[in-house]
Amino acid sequence: MTEFMLIIMVVLLLCGFPMKMPLISAAVLGFLVYFPDLSLQILIQQMIGGVKPAALIAVPMFILAADIITRGHSANRLIDVVMSFMGHIKGGLAISVTSACALFGAVCGSTQATVVAVGGAMRPRMLKSGYSDSFTIGLIVNAADLAYLIPPSIGMIIYGVVSGTSISQLFIAGIVPGLLIVVLFSMYCMFYAYRHDIPVLPREDWGQRFTAMRRALWPMGFPAIIVGGIYGGVFSPTEAAAICVLYAAILEVVIFRSIRLRDLFDIALSTGAITSVVFILIAAGAAFSWTLSFAQVPQQIIASLGLNDASPLMVLLAINIAFFVGCMFVDSIVVILILVPIFAPMIKSAGLDPVLVGVLITLQVAIGAATPPFGCNLFTAIAVFRRPFIEVVKGVPPFLFILLVVTGLLVIFPQIALFLPELAYR
Amino acid sequence: MQKPEAVPFGFLGKIDAAIGRVEIWILSWGVILMAVNTIANVFGRYVFNQSIYFSEELNEFLIILVTFMGLGYATRKGIHIRMSAIYDALPPKIRKGLMVVIAAVTSVMMAILAWYAFEYVQKVASRGRITPALQLPLYLTYVWVVVGLVLASFQYLLTALRNLNFAEEEIYVSYLEIDSYEDPETAAAIRRHEENSEEESAK
Repeated sequence: MTEFMLIIMVVLLLCGFPMKMPLISAAVLGFLVYFPDLSLQILIQQMIGGVKPAALIAVPMFILAADIITRGHSANRLIDVVMSFMGHIKGGLAISVTSACALFGAVCGSTQATVVAVGGAMRPRMLKSGYSDSFTIGLIVNAADLAYLIPPSIGMIIYGVVSGTSISQLFIAGIVPGLLIVVLFSMYCMFYAYRHDIPVLPREDWGQRFTAMRRALWPMGFPAIIVGGIYGGVFSPTEAAAICVLYAAILEVVIFRSIRLRDLFDIALSTGAITSVVFILIAAGAAFSWTLSFAQVPQQIIASLGLNDASPLMVLLAINIAFFVGCMFVDSIVVILILVPIFAPMIKSAGLDPVLVGVLITLQVAIGAATPPFGCNLFTAIAVFRRPFIEVVKGVPPFLFILLVVTGLLVIFPQIALFLPELAYR
Repeated sequence: MQKPEAVPFGFLGKIDAAIGRVEIWILSWGVILMAVNTIANVFGRYVFNQSIYFSEELNEFLIILVTFMGLGYATRKGIHIRMSAIYDALPPKIRKGLMVVIAAVTSVMMAILAWYAFEYVQKVASRGRITPALQLPLYLTYVWVVVGLVLASFQYLLTALRNLNFAEEEIYVSYLEIDSYEDPETAAAIRRHEENSEEESAK
């Protein structure tokens, strides 16, 4: 029966059904088989319960804030300040892209917005100074993934709600691995620049740097609100998200005057539409996970894979592989909604730290999104830069390799992710 | 449906356009209210030392409203997330047929869910459950699930019907939108980016 459910899901998925259908169909069919005496009303109840948690309100709020910011000028100001410090180093332009992606990810949390905002502005400059196109796109596509890992991260919020893990701790735990990736990417950029002898930009003096910093001062308020507010215990993640919306609106409407007040109505509409699309998946996922766990499907799967009393290391490995492979094919939110309930009993019985698991899952989601064949960042890049698939994919492998190294490091030294939240909360 | 018009299905289309305007209104104000409510609660707590007692309940209502009432809107705009890589590679005629199947099956599933949601809301209403903070009947929150699912089912039905005309070349991802290979979120982001850079260069 489990196989039947899986086959239905895969077939519906591959045929191009809207993603809610595989989840709902598997839930309904499984329900009818395992619980023929109960009423399907239970699934409706689960769907409603699935979207209700207060923590999930953070998702539309962060989407709204990101929507407001990407229509304004914040991205360019952040790029300018990074450039003024990094431009004169070997590979400085590429390092600037990495750092700008990290900064912009800390502001908005959407990888697609990051690809467009940072990539759109930086790719022409990189090409002009001699970087190859495939390296440039590979860098942009992968560096944009930092937005998943560095708070605010929508994937982390959904993982936190589905698995019952503290979202604040997840946010804090994502910071150091995110910075580690920035450092490793930057080292590779430097190496590339030396090997291809790419010229450096003139060093900017402190006056220019100061001007750039002043111009970027306002956008730098976002990480301060999110990290400072949550770390300091002032806000819950949801409240921090709402304050970001207020801040973004004041910034772009009043201070930068880049959007008008009545534009906010349109922005709210597009946020509402995206919210609905994401939340119907969460609702369907809740129904799916209810059927799954009451029918003891995860236990069956674990037993059939021979992972019954696997060591924590084996479990981590299995999780990493499953999420990485899943995200190569399907939207990350769907993968989290399907796989987290399946692995939940295993994570528990192996005694793994759910925060560590969350960071690793988020990292795999990020890697999967930039991996062929169907990683969604690749398609964003194809659409934004209008380059053929092969060219976009060609530059990806070195960055993938670095990300997999970071995965390995996190598995061997979990403290990389865990020491900050331990410092803050335990 | 001899020739494609601005609003297909005549009278039905007009009703649907009206419903569409209501959905837009609900989605925008739902999100704005959610933000205002959460922000007000933070200010209430820190500035006036008084949380808003119904804040969480209002957000629950709004997120259910936005999620389910957005279903119809998202379907009409054809922006539901789907894995279309294989689908896109198929020849147009097969794609069109597949789209009829997808829309029809999804429509039926939405209708089934709507029916059970209706039963559930009836049960909630007959038990007279009220919300803890505002003391309002709980079914007033849940009834939007039924409305949203019915509207979504209706939209998918229209999509299936629109694609049944095999003489036409176009494939409709919803009954108004032609399938254009574009991820709407990305397309919107690109458009905004291009608008911005035009503004920048104009200065």
